[in-house]
Amino acid sequence: MKERIIELLSAALPMVDLESDFLFSELDSLGVTTILMLLSEEYGIELEARDATPKNLKTIDSIVKMVEEKLAK
Amino acid sequence: MILEERIEYFAKVVPDKAAVICDEQTISYSCLWKHIQEKAQQMKEDGVCEGKPYVFLATQDADFIVTYCAVHVCGAVAIPLERSTPTERQQQIINETKDFSFASGTSDILYTTGTTGLAKGVIISEIAWQANAENLINRLGFTSDLLFIVCGPLNHLGSLSKIYPTLMMGGTLYIMENLKDLNAFFSVFELPFTKFATFLVPSSIKMLLQFASKELVAVSQKIDFIETGAAAISQHDMELLCQILPHSRLFNTYASTETGIVCSYEFSEYGCQPGLLGKPMKHSSVRIDENGRVVCSGKTIMSGFVNSSDLTAQVLKGCEVYTSDIGSLDEKGMLHLLGRKDDIINVGGYKVNPSEVEDAVQAYENIQDCICIPAKHIVLGTVPKLLYVPKQGQVVKPKDIADFLKGRIESYKIPLLYEVVDAIKRTYNGKLDRKAYK
Repeated sequence: MKERIIELLSAALPMVDLESDFLFSELDSLGVTTILMLLSEEYGIELEARDATPKNLKTIDSIVKMVEEKLAK
Repeated sequence: MILEERIEYFAKVVPDKAAVICDEQTISYSCLWKHIQEKAQQMKEDGVCEGKPYVFLATQDADFIVTYCAVHVCGAVAIPLERSTPTERQQQIINETKDFSFASGTSDILYTTGTTGLAKGVIISEIAWQANAENLINRLGFTSDLLFIVCGPLNHLGSLSKIYPTLMMGGTLYIMENLKDLNAFFSVFELPFTKFATFLVPSSIKMLLQFASKELVAVSQKIDFIETGAAAISQHDMELLCQILPHSRLFNTYASTETGIVCSYEFSEYGCQPGLLGKPMKHSSVRIDENGRVVCSGKTIMSGFVNSSDLTAQVLKGCEVYTSDIGSLDEKGMLHLLGRKDDIINVGGYKVNPSEVEDAVQAYENIQDCICIPAKHIVLGTVPKLLYVPKQGQVVKPKDIADFLKGRIESYKIPLLYEVVDAIKRTYNGKLDRKAYK
């Protein structure tokens, strides 16, 4: 899943360093929205504003964790 | 000085009232005025004086308001630049403005790509700011009990123009860096104010509708008005916003740095129709020329461009600004926007000149040829896309190009989408064939 998410996000956000430990600080509002939209479409999960927290979007691993938790619900 | 005089006035009559809230810090009118005076004194000691330019970065905080107003108190001309402006570009702007002879009453220079497609400094007078503020106060209804949330860049007319009516009416500004933390945006509504308002570009509205409709419903009673503009908003998004916010006034505004704030249409009251911008406001007039171009006049228009009399003559003819927008006026005198006359790409309200992007990319040694075109994006609607031909034997990844462009052009101009192609289409005389990509 991690590889697929990196593939998806790097195509849509080429300027963002997805390996960063401070991913959220690298993003602008467009970046956050793009991540929410791509992940909700790819995995059929419902993502909302309250999911777009600095904690959930801190690293690519925390994004993977967020998707896994949504899928488990 | 109209803004600063009003801040001074409110510092006397309502000294403890919140003027600016930012980073969980509340600054009262008396504190704000004190900070402005102190900053102005320091600037004067540093040589800032009447009629001289003062270039600074538009930090998204209370310091920006203090610096911006202090520049005016010194009688100098404020030149706020986007925070990501490369150092070389900052120096270029300092050089091109330092010896310019500003007319008396000049307030600011705002750098924009807007009407002409070229990055240039638009001269804005104090009279224009006052007229813009009065247009907004009259049409949108700014009041002293309003908390206005600024979440867009303060060097841009869309957000900077809201400082004036908010503080001139004794209201409160809430400054956010941007909209990326939607939870932070909604937490503003927990503050003890009864009326909230904001300016959102259409892509931000789309984002809120998609991911935060429940949160919007929860605060709907508190939202007095939302203004949008700078790019086209779809009928679907207008209708959805009206449904979610049945108690709020929703406006679609026509404005540009060159024309000032000209028209605004309350689509929540009079119906959702894409491209309908309403009647000109108190200090503005609009006509359509023989080529269908929107031509604006009135007190809000710019005084000209810095160091470019040719460009000024092309855009500012007599007392009229000739925009690159194509429009029509209906029988009620309401403006309908139909499109643009040039190749400028409108990215969520920011205007991107594809030639500027291509020139920057051509400096990358492994690129043989390229063209920047508009493309569809799931969030922003339209974004710059780069089609490029790497030099023979070279592998060039999109991230390589994006990294190269960082620091050379502003971040919003860097293409978001990339595609390697075999060749770029050109016309018989070697010019880029932009029509072939439309």
